[in-house]
Amino acid sequence: MKTLFLGSVLLALNSPVFAALRIVTTTEDLAALAREVGGKHVKVESIAKGYQDPHFVDAKPSYLLKLKRADLFIQVGLELESSWAPNLLRSARNKGIRPGARGFLDASTGCDVLDKNITADRSQGDVHPEGNPHYWLDPANGRIIAENIAGRLSELDPDHAGDYRSNLAVFETRLKKKAAEWGELTQAFKGSKVVTNHNSWPNFAKTFHLNVIDFVEPKPGIPASPSHIKNLINRIRREKITLIFMEPYFDEKLPKKIASDTGAKLLILPPSVGAVKDIKTYFDLFDHNLNLLSGALGGKR
Amino acid sequence: MMDIVMLFAWPFAALLVITAIHAYLGLHVVQREVIFVDLSLAQIAALGASIAVLAGLDLHGIGAYLYSLGFTLIGAAFFAFTRSDKNDVPQEAVIGIVYAVSAAAAIMIMDRLPEGAEHLKHIMVGNLLAVTPSEVIKMAGLYAVVGLLHWYWSASLLLISADPEKARREGYNLRLWDFLFYGTFGLIVTVSVPIVGVLLVFSYLIVPGVAALLFFNSLRSRLVFAWGMGALVSVIGMGISFWLDSPTGATIVCTFGGALGLLAAGRAAFGQRA
Repeated sequence: MKTLFLGSVLLALNSPVFAALRIVTTTEDLAALAREVGGKHVKVESIAKGYQDPHFVDAKPSYLLKLKRADLFIQVGLELESSWAPNLLRSARNKGIRPGARGFLDASTGCDVLDKNITADRSQGDVHPEGNPHYWLDPANGRIIAENIAGRLSELDPDHAGDYRSNLAVFETRLKKKAAEWGELTQAFKGSKVVTNHNSWPNFAKTFHLNVIDFVEPKPGIPASPSHIKNLINRIRREKITLIFMEPYFDEKLPKKIASDTGAKLLILPPSVGAVKDIKTYFDLFDHNLNLLSGALGGKR
Repeated sequence: MMDIVMLFAWPFAALLVITAIHAYLGLHVVQREVIFVDLSLAQIAALGASIAVLAGLDLHGIGAYLYSLGFTLIGAAFFAFTRSDKNDVPQEAVIGIVYAVSAAAAIMIMDRLPEGAEHLKHIMVGNLLAVTPSEVIKMAGLYAVVGLLHWYWSASLLLISADPEKARREGYNLRLWDFLFYGTFGLIVTVSVPIVGVLLVFSYLIVPGVAALLFFNSLRSRLVFAWGMGALVSVIGMGISFWLDSPTGATIVCTFGGALGLLAAGRAAFGQRA
C-alpha cells in the first residue's frame, strides 16, 4: 500500500506525458460530480473523505503532493474548508491552481446558497457569513456544480470539450429523472417537522420540504446550554416531532439523550458521498438518505 | 524528486527553528517542574484572542495579536507571583487551574460570538504542512532575539530555575527574574502554537529535555543532546509521516514518544548517566 503510494507519486512526477487531467477536490461530493462530467479524461481525487468533517482536515504529506500535481482544484467554498484549504494551496506551490488561476474552481458559483448575510443572531447557529456551505445537498445545485465543472474542464482541455458537454448532458438527464423519483418518494412526508443536530441541512430540507424547527447544538463544538436543551425537549414534545437527524461524524450523546427523553427517533444521515460504503455516486447520496428518511417518517405528516 | 524536497523544506525549517528554542527552554521547564506551563500560557493567549474577537477585532490582525500577547504577559506575571517560596501550593497546581479556567472562559466567550468560533478553535491545533516562508522567517527572527536575551543572562536565569533559594540569598529579585522567564517563554509559545499546534510545541519542549536529563549532568551537554535529538526526531518523524502518509504533526509527536522509550530502555540496559 505504502510502496504503491510512493511508487505512483514517483511515476506521476517522472512521466513526461500524462494524458488525463488531474483534479483534486476538497470533498468526495465534488469528486463524484467531477467524475460524472470528466469521464475518462480525468483522474479525480478528494482530500477529505466522506466520513470526515470537512471543516477540519489534518494535513498529510500526500495532500501537498496531490495539489502540487493537480491541473484543477475544486472547493465547496463559503468558508467550509477555510481552516485548511487556503494554507495547503499556498504550501503546495502550484501556481496553476491558486485562487484566481484557471485551475482553481469554487463550485458554489451560481448555486442557490441559503442563510446568506444573517446578522449576528445567535439563535441562527454558527453563521458562515457568505452563506451555508452545505448547498450540494440540493440536486438543483448539484446540476449547477456539474455545469461549473464542465465549463472549466472545457477551458482547460478544449480538445475534449465535446465529451464534457455530452457527459454533462447524460448526467443532467439522469438527474432530472432521479429528481422526479425523489420528489415522489418524499411526497409522503412533505412538511414534516424535524430537528437536526447542527444547521447543515437547509438546502436538503428546502428541496425535500422538511421543516427544520431547531438544532440540538446551535454552535458546533460548543455545548448547548441547559435552557436550550430544556426548551428543545419541550418543543419536541409539544409539537410531536418524531425525528432528529445528524451527521455521522459528530458526537451523538446529546442527540441520543434528547431522542430517548422525547420518544423521537435519531437518524444518522451521511451528508457526503463516501460517508458509508454504498454511497459511491451523487445519486447514491440522495437514494440512501431519502430511503432512510422514508423509513423513519413513513406516511406521517 | 526535487519537487518533493522543496514542498517539505519550509515545514522542516520550521521544526528546526522550534527545536532550537524549545529544546533549550524545555531544560528550564523540566528543572522548574512546571511541565504544563506552555499549555497554560497558550490557552491564556487563546483566551486573549477570543476576547479580541468579541471586541470586534479581526482574529488574524495585529490588534488580536496584541490582546493575546497582553494576556500572556498577565499570565506570566501571575505565574511569577505565585511561585511560592514555602512550597505549600505546588506551582503545577496553579498552572493547571489557570489552564482549565482560561479554556472554559474561552468556551463561554465563543458561545457569545456570532461567527469565528470555528477559527478560534484552530488556534490550538496548528498546521505544520501549511506553514508559510514568512511565518518561518518571523519565527526565526523573534526566537533569535529571545535566545540572545537568554544567552546574555544565562547565568542568572539558570540559577533561578535550578536553585531559587541560593538565588534569593545572593540578592536576586526572584519575581522579576521569573517574570522575565515566563514572559519570554509566553512570547515564544504564543507564536509557536498557532503555527504547529499545542501537541508539537509540548513535545519539542519536554521530550528532549527529559531525555537529556537521563544521560547528562552538565547543562552544556544536555543542551547539545536535546538539540541533536530534536533535529533527528524531526527528520525521522517527517520521513515516517511521508512513508505512512499519516498526519505529520501527530506522527512526529509519536516519534518523540518512541525515541524517548528507546533511550530510556537503553539507559536501563546499559547503566547510568555518562
